[in-house]
Amino acid sequence: MIKVQKLTKIYNMGHVKVKALDGVSFSVVSGDMLAIMGKSGSGKSTLLRQMGLLDLPTRGRIFLGRYDVTRFPEGQRARLRLKYLGYVFQEYALLGELTAHQNVYLPGMMLGRSGRDYKEHAAELLKLVGLGKRINHYPKELSGGEQQRVAIARALINSPKVLLADEPCANLDTISSGVVMDTLVRLNHDMKVTVVFVSHDPADKQYARHILILGDGKIIEREGEIA
Amino acid sequence: MTRSLRVACLLAFTSVTKGNFRIALLTMLILILVALNLVFVPGLLDGLAWGANDKLINTYSSDIVIESGGSSHYISNVDQLLTEIEQIKGVEAVTARNYLGAEIEYEGKYLGAAVYGVNLDTEKEVFTIADSIVEGSYLDADDVDTIVLGIQIAGADNPELELYARSLQSVHAGDTVTVTYTNNMKKNYTVKGIFYTEFIQTDLQSYVSNTEFDTVAPYLVNNASVIYVKTSEDADSEEIISRIMSTSEELRITTWEDHAGLVDSMTESFKIIEIIIDTVNLLVAGITVFIVTYIDVAHRKRQIGIQRAIGITPAAITISYVIRAIFYAVVALALAMLIYKFGIIPLEARYPFHFPFGDVFLQISPFVLIRTALLLFAVSVISALLPVRGVIRTKIIDAIWG
Repeated sequence: MIKVQKLTKIYNMGHVKVKALDGVSFSVVSGDMLAIMGKSGSGKSTLLRQMGLLDLPTRGRIFLGRYDVTRFPEGQRARLRLKYLGYVFQEYALLGELTAHQNVYLPGMMLGRSGRDYKEHAAELLKLVGLGKRINHYPKELSGGEQQRVAIARALINSPKVLLADEPCANLDTISSGVVMDTLVRLNHDMKVTVVFVSHDPADKQYARHILILGDGKIIEREGEIA
Repeated sequence: MTRSLRVACLLAFTSVTKGNFRIALLTMLILILVALNLVFVPGLLDGLAWGANDKLINTYSSDIVIESGGSSHYISNVDQLLTEIEQIKGVEAVTARNYLGAEIEYEGKYLGAAVYGVNLDTEKEVFTIADSIVEGSYLDADDVDTIVLGIQIAGADNPELELYARSLQSVHAGDTVTVTYTNNMKKNYTVKGIFYTEFIQTDLQSYVSNTEFDTVAPYLVNNASVIYVKTSEDADSEEIISRIMSTSEELRITTWEDHAGLVDSMTESFKIIEIIIDTVNLLVAGITVFIVTYIDVAHRKRQIGIQRAIGITPAAITISYVIRAIFYAVVALALAMLIYKFGIIPLEARYPFHFPFGDVFLQISPFVLIRTALLLFAVSVISALLPVRGVIRTKIIDAIWG
């Protein structure tokens, strides 16, 4: 499904070069639930942003299925983000001027589905994440956990093959975290969506089928059968 | 493209309805001021030109001027010619004048001027000079030994007049002036009235009735120096001129535009001033809208980054800003036009700008409106596009996480 090959990312911070990822290689199979864990600054979020095609690696390659998408032009990368990848940000990243419903159906609208389709599908997804009665609320009227669930629904609107979640519970209390993680598990189990999530909380290991632990931009431990 | 347009419309709509109200208000206020400026300056200049032309036509040249084109200074057999011209379609009124050069004297001051003999019955149908009497009264058809003077001749103890220094300076209605014509006829006239049309060329004229003029130059009966033709608003001047020409080959016919030399050169100068003012105005508007949009876009940089991260194309994001810019421009233009039509124009009509040829009233022309709308749209769109393009070119992670 996703294959990461010798991925290296170097940030130029003025005169200093920071190696955030250093030759990381692994594969994620279809239907997997993979957790990328590690301490703060270990390169977890950097790795997820490369996989989500939000950034370009310095070296190495990323395969989606059989295709090397590493150097795809921005137009094609945008298309892949829209159609095959769902991305959940750590800070919810909802659009404040849109309602929960509009936030969710916006990528569906962009994909060109008919109005009735994407609006109904968005409402169903919001119901799925437990927000069926709050679809016309604006982000500022929702709690952190609710906003994150809206973000998850948005990531699912175009039925992506892979859902990437960057510390989805970092800003949430324990109860909300549990709801969000349960939602991800349910999506993986019921809808067969491949889920890759980043977390620094060892307690989140329980949700994953496989685990990658990063340290200083390298994989220092693999749990489960990861290629 | 349709998809991008649909998404852009949603983003633009929500941005307008749910976005920062103060930024929207500021942008629209700037655009309203720009639109008012773009309409006001040409409106004033058009009003100036219109006012000057109106004075020219109604007090000096009428619509069509007919003079002798032959060897004689005078048009002969005028009565029949006037009857023929009156019958031409589009002609509202016709009047003929004779004039002689003269020297007018009052209390030791002398002034050279033309004295016109006018037909009081038809004169008032072509010109509005009789409405501009500021002292005494206008002539009657059977008046003899009386004259009416333009104020630039009489002076009327008004030192603020443009040509006061060369005028007779202190003549008033009821005074007696001595007129010596170029045919050596010398007569004393009681000044029956003084007119002030505020059109200098007209205010330099003096009139006696035809009855009086016939006593001065009896050899000019049924002759005229000039014939003035007033046409209806929708008349075809070319056609009327062609019909008049067909009545006699020895006529020199001009239109009021041919007598508008001063107004024409004034209008040309105003056009250059207008272009300079408009350019500065648009530059200031463009830069201001750019700054406002830039600040707005800078605040929305993260939002734009998120939109791109979830797959919204740069085209859709850019179009949303274009739609928003056009919306602001349309609303601002509509408000500016309402303020102009129902606020500024009535206010100016009540307290008009006063120019040397009279009060000037603001005009509004469809051409100026369309030009203003296009300029406003262009400035708004360009000023909105530039900052958006800057953010669109930023890396997604830099836009979201700085």
